[in-house]
Amino acid sequence: MATQWTPTSAGSAGSTPEPGPEQQGLLVGGPGRAAEVAVVSLVEAGAVRISREGLVSVVGRPGHGWSPLQAYVLRSAPRTLGELITATAWSAEAQSLRQHLVDVGLVTPPGRRKALRTLRLLVVAAVVVTMIVAGALDLPFALAFFTAVAGAVVAVVLGRLSRPLTARGRQVVRALKQVAVSPNRIALVAYYGLLGKVERHHVWEVLGIAPAAAATLRRRSRGSGSDGGASCGGGCGSCASSSCGGSSSSSSDSGGSSCGGGGCGGGGGGD
Amino acid sequence: MEKLGVGIGWRPEIDLTVERLPGIDFVEVVAENLHVGHLPESVLLLRERGVPVLPHAVSLSLGGAEPVDAQRVAHLGALAEALDAPLVSDHVCFVRAGGLDSGHLMPLPRTRDALDVLVANVKATQQDLPVPLALENVAALLDWPDGELTEGQFLAELVDRTDCHLLVDVANLYANARNLGTDVARFLDEIPLERLAYVHVAGGEEHQGVYHDTHAHAVRPEVLDVLAQLRARVDPPGVLLERDDDYPADAELADELAAIRAVLG
Repeated sequence: MATQWTPTSAGSAGSTPEPGPEQQGLLVGGPGRAAEVAVVSLVEAGAVRISREGLVSVVGRPGHGWSPLQAYVLRSAPRTLGELITATAWSAEAQSLRQHLVDVGLVTPPGRRKALRTLRLLVVAAVVVTMIVAGALDLPFALAFFTAVAGAVVAVVLGRLSRPLTARGRQVVRALKQVAVSPNRIALVAYYGLLGKVERHHVWEVLGIAPAAAATLRRRSRGSGSDGGASCGGGCGSCASSSCGGSSSSSSDSGGSSCGGGGCGGGGGGD
Repeated sequence: MEKLGVGIGWRPEIDLTVERLPGIDFVEVVAENLHVGHLPESVLLLRERGVPVLPHAVSLSLGGAEPVDAQRVAHLGALAEALDAPLVSDHVCFVRAGGLDSGHLMPLPRTRDALDVLVANVKATQQDLPVPLALENVAALLDWPDGELTEGQFLAELVDRTDCHLLVDVANLYANARNLGTDVARFLDEIPLERLAYVHVAGGEEHQGVYHDTHAHAVRPEVLDVLAQLRARVDPPGVLLERDDDYPADAELADELAAIRAVLG
């Protein structure tokens, strides 16, 4: 089975300066996407096989050198593809991977995001109050206008600062998009997710996964990921790119929904 | 017996592997794992390709003192019809007694009394099956005391009295030779090879001086030697590789099948 990914290159070792595929997948689609990358990279390496009905089982006795997420997959098999991805997405290993991305500055710390969003709400509230007071006290229009504009600018800045991904994180997503083409199967999964579409084909089809196996993947609802998977706690959804940040330059730049936090499993929203 | 060729045990974990392995002439399915009304897509695909699919049972307990469970026989028969199988098979063993399931294929005492029970059960089962029945020799870790027949004689008499076919597992034969001192050549000389339906080949491992027929390890050269001894006496209608756990890479399975073909010549 052809693969260009060694266990370490597919992994999530913290010493690697460039984010590995699992890390890239987590940045784009949350822990569920990282789990998909772990499973598919193991398939590509010949360490697991996926049956027609979706049962993922270990091939022979794989050696060592796998990433923590891959090792979790190997320990958890045999399970159906969907179950395995869900379990992996919720694993402590996936949480560690997410924390690692926070530590290396690719994901905005959840606490900071929450604080910034609260501050933005306060700014908006202050602007509204100022406008009301200005109207009630018949203060000059210029003052009210200046306050509104200043408040809006501050709110926008705070909004940008509270996005799930940092500027470097968004840069990684943009770089991934450049290499997420059919021959690069791991990058394809990392960027689009198994249920995502590329050139009008589902990624699982491109990879040669049987329809019954793909049917075990769970699709998350579009509205369930508002918190952003990479920076939210525990979310394991892996959305298709069309509903995620990174599918276009604009959404990639925004990074606001770069990873679903709601549903678990193989992603969704790609149809 | 119709020519089957070289095959492999179909298992859900390796369904796609079985489909794409070159030169697979027939497959065998574990009857208890399939539902007649909901056959796996992979099995149906193989049938569409014209690959014979043989149901192999493990739970009839034909050597047991209790009557054979009619529902299990009915299921096996229905599966044979659904798959258009030329024959079905089970083992010369018992798996339950007194309401308890052993979880293993237990060897029978090779006494005339035990043979009478086995023959009665086999005849009753054959009446309810739509296709011929083949019976397989098991790997045993013990020999019951007071045996009156060798394993070969026991099987020969069973065939003579029931007209059943034989499914000879050369790995089981090797295991019995290693663990119990069964004489391989004598066994092969004593059984009616003209009633041979097909042959099983499987891997195992030695643990604390005992050979275990695990179906989870590579086929040993010694097992292939037993196959060669059988081949020297008869051209078997079919030979099937069994693997039930720790499934290796496709290439490894292909190599094991190639090794079997090499022995068959």
